Amino acid sequence: MHLVVCLKQIMDPELPPGDFRVDTQKKEAVRGSANLVISVFDENALEVALQLRDAAGGGKITALCVGPESAVDALRKAISMRADEAIRVREEEFPALDAYGTARLLAAALRKLEPADLVFCGREAGDWHGAIVGGLLAGELERPFVSLVAGAKRAGDAFVLRRQTDEGWETVECAGPAVISVTNDDANQPRIPKVKDNMMAFRRQIPAWGAAELGVQASEMNGPNAALEFASLGIPKSERQCQVIGGESVEEKAARLAQKLADLHVL
Amino acid sequence: MKNVVALLIVAPGGLRRTEAEVLSAGRRLADGLGGTLTAVILGATEASWDGDAAAYGADRVVHVEHAGLAEYQAEMMVEAARRVCAALQAEVCLAPSSTYGLEMAPVLAQKLGAAVVTDVIGALGEAGQVKITKPVYGGKANSELIARKAPLVLVMRARSVAVLERKAGAAAETSKLEVQLDAGLAKSRIVERKQEASTGVRLEDARIIISGGRGMGGAEGFKVLDELAGMLGGTVGASRAACDQGWVPASWQIGQTGKKVAPELYLAVGISGASQHLVGISGAKHIVAVNKDEKAPIFETSEAGVVEDYRTMIPALIEAVKKHRAAQGK
Ligand SMILES: Cc1cc2nc3c(=O)[nH]c(=O)nc-3n(C[C@H](O)[C@H](O)[C@H](O)COP(=O)(O)OP(=O)(O)OC[C@H]3O[C@@H](n4cnc5c(N)ncnc54)[C@H](O)[C@@H]3O)c2cc1C
Ligand SMILES: Nc1ncnc2c1ncn2[C@@H]1O[C@H](COP(=O)(O)O)[C@@H](O)[C@H]1O
Repeated sequence: MHLVVCLKQIMDPELPPGDFRVDTQKKEAVRGSANLVISVFDENALEVALQLRDAAGGGKITALCVGPESAVDALRKAISMRADEAIRVREEEFPALDAYGTARLLAAALRKLEPADLVFCGREAGDWHGAIVGGLLAGELERPFVSLVAGAKRAGDAFVLRRQTDEGWETVECAGPAVISVTNDDANQPRIPKVKDNMMAFRRQIPAWGAAELGVQASEMNGPNAALEFASLGIPKSERQCQVIGGESVEEKAARLAQKLADLHVL
Repeated sequence: MKNVVALLIVAPGGLRRTEAEVLSAGRRLADGLGGTLTAVILGATEASWDGDAAAYGADRVVHVEHAGLAEYQAEMMVEAARRVCAALQAEVCLAPSSTYGLEMAPVLAQKLGAAVVTDVIGALGEAGQVKITKPVYGGKANSELIARKAPLVLVMRARSVAVLERKAGAAAETSKLEVQLDAGLAKSRIVERKQEASTGVRLEDARIIISGGRGMGGAEGFKVLDELAGMLGGTVGASRAACDQGWVPASWQIGQTGKKVAPELYLAVGISGASQHLVGISGAKHIVAVNKDEKAPIFETSEAGVVEDYRTMIPALIEAVKKHRAAQGK
């Protein structure tokens, strides 16, 4: 069983709003002192893959990232969580990639790898929230796509997927090979790597593939999303003013809060 | 771009807010572009949907009929949507912001060769172009995109579209479109559905929401919130941190990747106020916070707040509400 997890490296999304700046010229966030991390749901996706492999008692997990040189750190983290292999696609060779381009590069890499039974993506990247690369990738590969998966089991050649819906849960049986997107759940909290695995990962060489290795032309990767004009990026203003409700005792604060709720016509 | 299509995926019962939002967004876009809005109803149709689609502004209603669409099945739905979009020469296609709509959108776009954008909070049609506003970086920034070329697939963010007033009695030209779908297309099957228990009314429709975060410290902590919600006629929600801990069901999550809510009162308890959480409550009329850290960012978006440990504050509030009601003779 070969499982491939697509992961993106992003600026830490937990950066407090007060420290968040944008470069309106470049139309991107200013990194400043923020860390680079694996996009949150991609770690959940890797965790689902790890659990699936471990339950099956074998199989191989490959972590795949289209990213700059720095993305090696994200892939090493995946190795330290016990992915078996990791590959970086050299983003620097493909400037101004659109989501279709990313999906096509992932598809090209997948065609070069040992055939995957299940391909994992996050539900959406934690920086731009596109929520489309997984579906586009499924389309490129002509495979079924199941979104918002929280857990996966193998049943013969098929996969039994537990997925989140607006109302609750669904169990979806899906023939492999397929592409899924993963959402967070208490059952797929990413494991913390062991110290010895961190050291092992640190020493790993991560292969990088570019246009030559993938047999693609950089100029031909982008799709229809590249035609969208990116007009601007700005920080929206918030104008709420907070009234701090004080008091000598908790009871006094509570009485004042109750009065406030009554004033708001919600009591 | 003039030809706007709103995709509606049939679900049991009448048209819900999700569909009303797709139609309303579609109507406004069609008006801005000087075009028309076609409502495409995918699945076994209930007659009431026709009238509803017209009431929310559709010029035309097209039913796509096939036994394979009786229930949602991803490959069948996408293929049906692709055929109908091609047949109607759809230029802008709006998919619903539901689990299924969001799942279909990128796959459909890929098949149509369309640009695709999800989680859109503004779509303005003007001079043959669509100006798109999409929040990014967890709501800390807004991006503006301009689409000049068809086809375009859009998914609006739930609750970001003001629903148009229902025009009872409005009529639309209705037609059926038969499609041939090969049963072999279906590669997946829904084998079980489970509705998650919630307290009170659905979060999306709740007038009062009491939400708990990591600060609740455990599932136990949610019991007092439950009690308070019960008294106020509200529903309990949660931050992602609380859901990830398994303290409450994932379907209670509010935020970027959870429910988008618009209550009269949102009481945030033990929630720090990360932008990704606030994204879900931007439609709330009044936000009030209880947090033991006076520096918690949630206070910046709240109109009132109490700096206090919830473990003493919420029980005290419950007593205060009782007293207040007694004083009012309620
Ligand atoms: C792509 C992406 C999507 C996301 N989507 C969502 C989403 O949909 N919804 C969501 O909520 N988050 C989402 N997040 C996560 C978000 O960034 C935050 O991590 C999360 O909201 C934090 O939850 P919290 O406020 O409960 O926890 P914390 O940030 O840990 O805050 C806990 C708060 O509780 C207070 N507290 C502690 N003890 C007490 C006490 N006894 N009494 C009172 N107060 C106390 C603390 O002072 C603190 O302010 C997303 C993140 C990413 C990257
Ligand atoms: N550059 C990338 N490299 C690898 N995987 C990616 C990349 N960009 C997006 N993905 C995958 O696609 C998912 C959805 O991304 P997006 O559509 O950009 O929100 C992410 O969670 C990743 O799993």
